[in-house]
Amino acid sequence: MKLIVGISDMKIGTKPDDELVTYSLGSCIGVAIWDPVAKVGALLHYMLPDSSIDKDKAEQKPYMFADTGVPRMFKEIYKYGALKERLKVYIVGGAQVMDDSGMFNIGKRNQMIIRKMFWKNNVAVTKEDVGGAVNRTITLNVGSGNVRLKVSGQGEVEL
Amino acid sequence: MSRVAEILNIANHIPPFPKVAMQVMRMLDDPRVQAKDLAAVIQYDSAITANILKTCNAAYFGLPRKVSSLDEALVLVGQNILKDIIIASSSARFYQGVAGNGYQLEQGELWRHSVATAIMAKSISPHFRGVDPGAAFTTGLLHDIGKRFLSSFVANDFQRIMDRTYVDGMAFIAAEHEILGMDHAELGGLILQKWDFSEEMIRAVQHHHDPYALDLEPLIALVAMANTLVISAGVGVGAGGLTGAMQGEGLKRFSISGADLERYLANLILEMERAEEMMALSN
Repeated sequence: MKLIVGISDMKIGTKPDDELVTYSLGSCIGVAIWDPVAKVGALLHYMLPDSSIDKDKAEQKPYMFADTGVPRMFKEIYKYGALKERLKVYIVGGAQVMDDSGMFNIGKRNQMIIRKMFWKNNVAVTKEDVGGAVNRTITLNVGSGNVRLKVSGQGEVEL
Repeated sequence: MSRVAEILNIANHIPPFPKVAMQVMRMLDDPRVQAKDLAAVIQYDSAITANILKTCNAAYFGLPRKVSSLDEALVLVGQNILKDIIIASSSARFYQGVAGNGYQLEQGELWRHSVATAIMAKSISPHFRGVDPGAAFTTGLLHDIGKRFLSSFVANDFQRIMDRTYVDGMAFIAAEHEILGMDHAELGGLILQKWDFSEEMIRAVQHHHDPYALDLEPLIALVAMANTLVISAGVGVGAGGLTGAMQGEGLKRFSISGADLERYLANLILEMERAEEMMALSN
């Protein structure tokens, strides 16, 4: 079944024919994780790096922010038998418009925070496609662990 | 006919902005106007009437109870909100079907992007002294109207535009301009002019991709900022992606910080959920 992950959301797929997809990642980041033994996958679409700007929103929508969303996604997938050391991890997105002042550098800030979090927690990224000025769509096939990436104006490729 | 002439020819044959909407907007500037006077005008446009009833119950507009008739809506809705509802109800017809498919926007995406920009424009308007929140909403809603009418031209030359953008590193809008002789912002300005919107709104539509828009007049800066944030959030972006520049330095003049931008983005997602009825209007 196709499971669509909206902005500030996360979904878990447990069936071999589940496909997790999130459309149109601009400055937002999509994080896909998959356990090849437990055959379970999760996809997160966070929009902003740091929940300290709005604690109320973080309560309502923990997946809006990297600092609240990423740990929660990992905790959730462990419930389905996934193990951290087996996880394949993919990150895509984090684009931004060109701006010398750095005011609109949300894409870059979104990239920096997840690198920092993964480094601190010993999570290795399997593959990534981040930055630039493109719009991305990512699909994770739960049965095969296959991850496909579609970039604005180009075809779909395997990541 | 040259391509620019062909595009201008289409622009000249664009249907008028609904007369009823324009008339109601003028009436709303007159404090003596009553709900029944408004109803007498609006009811002649059944599409607008139906849309008003669909949208006014969106949580976004915060009415105290559900509304089921036009008269009831007009009594219950405050004047400022009524303007937003009427503009949205009247504009939706231009965004129906595959209005943005030349830009690789799926059905409904151009409208979704436009509503999101209108919502963002209105929320940030307190930072921009002298800008009327209603004008911000309307301009946000119409800033990409040029795409609706340029879509088929973009589709015809799609690969060339994409190559200039992603191989040669141009902004999508600059590639559009180079290859078609006209871009969607410029065409949008011409359409608003034809529809008799204010000079201020026309300029804001024309300049919404100008890299130095944030240094220009307040409404131009406001719409450019709102559009940039909505694109960053990935709402209705399409083939152009995030190409092009928007120099953020000018935001300081309006006392807007990077953290403010993030707070507005966080709000946008919840406000969009509360405006689902408005988002559904182009279906």
